[in-house]
Amino acid sequence: MNYPVWDVAFGAGLLIALVAILHVFVSHFAVGGGLFLVITEHKARRKNDAALLGWLKKHTRFFVLVTVVFGAISGVGIWFTIGLIGPTATSNLIHAYVWGWAIEWVFFFLEITAALLYLYGWDKLEPRLHLWYGWIYFGAAYLSLVIINGIIAFMLTSGSWTKNHEFWKGFFNPTYFPSLAFRTAIALALAGIYALITSSVEKDAGLKARIVRWSAWWIVPSLAVLPLLARWYIRRIPADLWASARGPMPTATHYALFAVVLLSVTFVLALLSLLRPGHMHLAFSLLVALVALGAMGSFEFVREAIRKPFVISNYLYANSLYSTQIPGDGGFSVDEVNAAGVLPSAKWVSNRDLTGGNQAAVGREIFRVECESCHTANAYRGLKHYIALRQWDESKIQAMIGGLEFMHNSVMPPFAGTDAERGALAVYLNTIEPVSSEDAAAAAGGQTVFDQNCSMCHRVNANDPLFKNLTSDPAAAGEALKDLTALFPLMPDLKLTDPQRTALVGWINAQRSAKGFGNTAQGGK
Amino acid sequence: MIQSNLIPALDPNPLPAPYWVFKLLLIVTFVLHILAMNFLLGGGVLALAAKWRAKNGGFGGRLFSDVAKKMPVLLPATITLGIAPLLFVQVLYGQFFYTSSIVMAWPWFLVLVMLTAAYYGFYYASFRSGKSAGKAGGVMLVSVILIFLIGFLFSNNLTLSQTPARWAAKYFADPGGWNLNLTEPALIPRFLHFFTAAVAVGGIFLVFVALANWKRDKGYARQVLQFGGKAFMYATMAQFVVGLIFLVSLPRGLRMLLMGDSPLATTLLLVGIAGGMAAIFVMSGALRNENIRAAALYAPGVLAVTISCMAVMRDLLRDAYLSPYFHAGQFAVTTQWSVLPLFLALFAAGVILWLVMMRRYGLLGGKKEIERPQP
Repeated sequence: MNYPVWDVAFGAGLLIALVAILHVFVSHFAVGGGLFLVITEHKARRKNDAALLGWLKKHTRFFVLVTVVFGAISGVGIWFTIGLIGPTATSNLIHAYVWGWAIEWVFFFLEITAALLYLYGWDKLEPRLHLWYGWIYFGAAYLSLVIINGIIAFMLTSGSWTKNHEFWKGFFNPTYFPSLAFRTAIALALAGIYALITSSVEKDAGLKARIVRWSAWWIVPSLAVLPLLARWYIRRIPADLWASARGPMPTATHYALFAVVLLSVTFVLALLSLLRPGHMHLAFSLLVALVALGAMGSFEFVREAIRKPFVISNYLYANSLYSTQIPGDGGFSVDEVNAAGVLPSAKWVSNRDLTGGNQAAVGREIFRVECESCHTANAYRGLKHYIALRQWDESKIQAMIGGLEFMHNSVMPPFAGTDAERGALAVYLNTIEPVSSEDAAAAAGGQTVFDQNCSMCHRVNANDPLFKNLTSDPAAAGEALKDLTALFPLMPDLKLTDPQRTALVGWINAQRSAKGFGNTAQGGK
Repeated sequence: MIQSNLIPALDPNPLPAPYWVFKLLLIVTFVLHILAMNFLLGGGVLALAAKWRAKNGGFGGRLFSDVAKKMPVLLPATITLGIAPLLFVQVLYGQFFYTSSIVMAWPWFLVLVMLTAAYYGFYYASFRSGKSAGKAGGVMLVSVILIFLIGFLFSNNLTLSQTPARWAAKYFADPGGWNLNLTEPALIPRFLHFFTAAVAVGGIFLVFVALANWKRDKGYARQVLQFGGKAFMYATMAQFVVGLIFLVSLPRGLRMLLMGDSPLATTLLLVGIAGGMAAIFVMSGALRNENIRAAALYAPGVLAVTISCMAVMRDLLRDAYLSPYFHAGQFAVTTQWSVLPLFLALFAAGVILWLVMMRRYGLLGGKKEIERPQP
């Protein structure tokens, strides 16, 4: 609202994910690969292995072309992209952590210089000096990870920073060390994975076998310790954040599963490559890299999904609104926007008044300033699909938006704005997937009614309030469901039809007996 | 709609050091970035010109190959030196810079794609400059054009960032971000001003190439010196015209700042112009006497004064453009004493280590340590 929102048709979130995932896949290689270069050079020189040195020289060129070129540009690319898509978060991070980035820039400068001198020095420098450049490269590259990791981990777990705004309190936050260890292991594994690629084009089968076996020493142990490091990492994430990874909004769980499966596949492929190391084929090495890219991407998706609804935990929501009112927030906290309304608060909307005739246009603008940081109308995380699945008509949409912060285990920020603005947003959303009140009333089966109306907050579970507290007496339960806000004040004011309520109650009771939820409540709730 | 209502509010975090610290860092790192960029763009343009001027042999082909081999180093130098001013401009001018970037989001994002393509092109040209020189020339041309276009996009964004009055109409016409700032009268003159400067400084870069070859191959080095020195002189002369057009294209109030209203800005302009003239004078004498020392040391030294004056003027101009919406006093300041000294110490150590690295390699006047060919 404070900044204009870039309307990316296919999804701003997707664009940022694309840039970020490609960058991390290369930048972690830039760290681990640096150590790989110097250790391998030491090893080759100690053993007087001229063939290995010859390959390593070619591998250095590949390394520089991938990391210094693509790694550096995609790193700047993240700057460009987050500034375009999350200017409020970027501005906050810049002002809080500019000295961190300035320090990282010093390391980055040394890193790039050392990488180029190491590359160009292969034929020119005596070995000890050449290795000296290699070690400086690795030291600077690792230190840049040490710095940037603090800022990334801060966004996930801001620790006590939100209270004291102290640089180091936010920097050495609860997930700092597990994240650093985790990323270090990934960096080492990637060093081996990228080496498989350049080994595959070697003609000498003996040399190729030596490189593949050597690479496996980097990949296999690193991947083997990852589960332990992941466990450490997860334990440092506050339970309420991690909760959003489970339950009714399983994005993080899905990606965590992807990450586990793809990492396991990478592990197995690395072991398989040891069966016939002299036969490493380019296609096979690229497959390993591709699977690892998928795993890495999944991991970053998990991190981002867990962080939601925040972009900076307990401070700033993904849609650039501050979670609580703080001095200097410019009126852009949820409470302030609730009180004043979106139209008077937002700087970057063209409609300033809500009239009977412009509801959809106003709703479109509210969607842009409050939802588009994550959603699109009908592409990435598109609401068209979501509404079609749930068959929500305009009134249901309006009711549901009132409880966004409870839906899907609190993965979304609350809607901020007046009731009339919420109505306008509902009118707009109804235009992207028109569902009439008849359509909404058409659902007949109990399961369908539950899926469309309740499943965003409730789960089929003995401890879920719906299954635990709703009376099992069909008539009384049907009556109670007539007024949801009386049942629990934070529930959306949904109006189900009589047959729908009857079907829902019947289905709930059937679930209770089928799953043995035991003692069902006899009270009114 | 009142424009100042559109200016995004600052975020709640105070500046982590006094305003002037960031201003100083911004201007100094910007000068370093612009020098590297000028070597890259100006050097690239002149190398291509030399190559096509002397189709059959001559020094042009060799000069092209020499410069082409430097491009893969000059581009990362430009990028790396550009990250720092990018960081500091966000600290001070984020409200304006983020907004104008969003208004022209797609062209701005495409900078990354163009940069990647240009970078790989430069690598190709450097690997191929000896083997298939024709192809290398074509690829290098494409890369240089891409860098030229990136510069144009930067001019678009930076002029847009200092004219908030233009934002709303552009943004609401296309929130998808397919906008440029082509209606800005100062855009083209400003861009040409920077491009002409790049060619002039590119000429100085060629003088450095001549210097590097001075002892090894005097004949070649002399030709490069004459070519680079003349390019510098002609481009700087052209700059008097281009600069004048740029001055005229500025809004009247801003123009008058440079013409008497602001003693500081006026002095900087006059010193800058005098420095440019003096540099031409020094270069002309150096070329006549084939004095490489004067060409590679004194002329750039005088030019450095001009460039510094211009960089400060550029900054004064930005603040003048933004004066209705921005002033240094708007920031709360809480210096992060727990981090700032660490940065300064690491920065100093980094500079020293960097110099040691360069010198041990035999660069910057250092003596290369014992060489031994390796497999």
